[in-house]
Amino acid sequence: MKKKFKFAYLYMLLLSLIALAACTNSESNTSEQNEENKENNEVVTTEEGKTVISFWHAMSGVGQTSLDSIVADFNASQDKYEVQAEFQGTYEESLTKLRSVGGTKDAPAITQVFEVGTKYMIESGFVEPIQKFIDEDKYDISQLEGNILNYYTVDDELYSMPFNSSTPVMLYNKDAFKAAGLDPEKAPATFSEVIAAAAKLKTDDMKGFSMLTYGWFFEQLVATQGGLYVNEENGRAGDATEATFNGEEGLRVFEFLDTMNKAGTFGNFGTNWDDIRAAFQSGKVAMYMDSSAGVTGIINNAPFEVGVAYIPYSDEAERKGVVIGGASLWMSKGIAEAEQKAAWEFMKYLTTPEVQAKWHLETGYFAINPSAYDEAVVKDAWGKMPQLKVTVDQLQSTEPSIATQGALISVFPESRQQVVTALENLYQGMSPQEALDQAAEGTNRAIEIANKTK
Amino acid sequence: MMVSQTKAKKSVWKRSLDARTALLYLLPSILLFSVFVFYPMFRTIYLSFFLTDQNGNAALFVGLENYTYLLESVAFRNSIKATFLFVLYTVPTGIIIALILALLANEKLKGIGFFRTIYSSTMGISVAASSVIWLFLFHPSIGMFNKLLNIFNLPQVEWLLDPTWALLSVSLSTIWLNTGFSFLILLGGLQNIDEHLYESARIDGASYWYRLRRITIPMLSPTLFFIVTISLINAFQTFGQIDILTKGGPSQSTNLIVYSIYKEAFVNYQFGTASAQAVFLFICILIVTILQFKLGERKVHYQ
Repeated sequence: MKKKFKFAYLYMLLLSLIALAACTNSESNTSEQNEENKENNEVVTTEEGKTVISFWHAMSGVGQTSLDSIVADFNASQDKYEVQAEFQGTYEESLTKLRSVGGTKDAPAITQVFEVGTKYMIESGFVEPIQKFIDEDKYDISQLEGNILNYYTVDDELYSMPFNSSTPVMLYNKDAFKAAGLDPEKAPATFSEVIAAAAKLKTDDMKGFSMLTYGWFFEQLVATQGGLYVNEENGRAGDATEATFNGEEGLRVFEFLDTMNKAGTFGNFGTNWDDIRAAFQSGKVAMYMDSSAGVTGIINNAPFEVGVAYIPYSDEAERKGVVIGGASLWMSKGIAEAEQKAAWEFMKYLTTPEVQAKWHLETGYFAINPSAYDEAVVKDAWGKMPQLKVTVDQLQSTEPSIATQGALISVFPESRQQVVTALENLYQGMSPQEALDQAAEGTNRAIEIANKTK
Repeated sequence: MMVSQTKAKKSVWKRSLDARTALLYLLPSILLFSVFVFYPMFRTIYLSFFLTDQNGNAALFVGLENYTYLLESVAFRNSIKATFLFVLYTVPTGIIIALILALLANEKLKGIGFFRTIYSSTMGISVAASSVIWLFLFHPSIGMFNKLLNIFNLPQVEWLLDPTWALLSVSLSTIWLNTGFSFLILLGGLQNIDEHLYESARIDGASYWYRLRRITIPMLSPTLFFIVTISLINAFQTFGQIDILTKGGPSQSTNLIVYSIYKEAFVNYQFGTASAQAVFLFICILIVTILQFKLGERKVHYQ
């Protein structure tokens, strides 16, 4: 008899669970209703009748300061719109937050998403392609940097507005070059030149070359040889089904790193940007690869003369250039039309040469509008810091191709982790091909699952 | 017939009175637990049988495939190994250090309050803040530890970059971090031991070590048991240090199960495989805790 009651209570417990589950369901129902009502929903306005929109970004440090002042300038420049910039953590974190509100009226009008989130955003259904506004407004897109637009254009449609763009460059210590008897004005350009220079530069305290253990640099070294990351034309002709970065171009990169690692001229400073920058600045490594967005900071802080060069390429291939990195701005779908209009006006404001000149100089990101480089402030700054121009030259001399357009896969963040593990295994002595194949296998599984559950 | 039935019903109703009252008192916590523990738990188990789409919704039923994949996966087996090693490195050492400190701080000396504060101070520091400090200590080029090694002409150690060192380095910071809490609990336990026991032992001429072995440890055993259980569970669930110090690297050597779950779920958005890992971790902790209660509790002496 007693046992029976125990069951009865268990039953009641389960019942209360179901009731709770029902609660959550009813909640989602109401949000759906809200969505339906959205057609005629009200727009948030300030007391003066300005349309208020929120802008989620992932810029911290210098980038945040600069962005906040740009937003403040925009708000002061007109009396119709009010943009509220909100820092949402790293790119990964803000994307995670967006996933929970995307497509609803609570979504921010503008979200900054990193370049490898492009395919995910397109497929998410959260966004309104920016092309729609370009067409409606007859906005002249040709004034923007072609090599940057190239990345964000999918099926001839521009999905998001490029904003902060960067590329990798190779930084080197000119003083160390002089000490080693190398020409400080001529940086090594090919893999074998870098290997030779690294051997000469190595001292007891200083390694010759280093690269942050981060998938992005590997992708760049593959692309600059014209190699593809995944099949289906780098995922741009259709859904990629297989990784191709373990082919000959990828192998050359791994062998390049492996040669120096075995010779003891390669310094491994881990996965943290600050660590590798500190290593360079404190003279622990003579050459390393960094983002163009970090160049200004390094030049200002290094106690020696810093040289900036193009990223190295394989001796067996031609230099094809670099793939754009960084982030772009996405317009939300499902928000009021007035809010989209406000967002579009803000995006247009961001692309003006004056704003871009300020942005370029304060952060080191590229100007997406190249006429910014003709602004007097930029010319002055370049006069003082000619290294900045190298980064722009490298981007502008890039040959548009599928390889340099960049790969398009939805599981890019996962694939990058696989590459990081492969690099770490390589530095621990695994053979280049084996390390690469493992990363490719992991990427293939991720792609397969993504395609299956689409 | 009818009468007897109503009688039976009535008695059921009456007999369950106590249980119903108990349930009423339990209701608030049952509700909270349901929302924050039971529902997520059942949801996790449910999701572990699916592959999820990009928004984390169950999309494709795969049965036990997530589990079989995990057991075959080299990376996951490596995570299990790293997790158990980490537990082995941190729990015994941490508790022994805390116990020694607590025994020292339990002496009645002038100014002992100062030392008690210092010893327990790591409790007041958040995991994130202390990990950032350790990050600087471990720094490959400007870190304090390598500078010290340099002074004594010892070879440099790549604390967080060498797979053989990384787990030890993370364990080191974890031991430091957890000592404060264990110390405080153990000190509390020591202070609860009846002073008369020591007095009579002293009169009988028992040495310090004898007193420690025969009075302190047995009287402290409930507290020790508690702290061992809590430390074990905490060690299995370590996340913050890993995220800040190594992000699971290098070569996956510090990719503990919890961190692996986090990466799978919130970086790769594979909630299915992440849930399967979570269920696996749950089973691990459950087994360890049951074993502990079965084996460890026998030795615990309750007053």
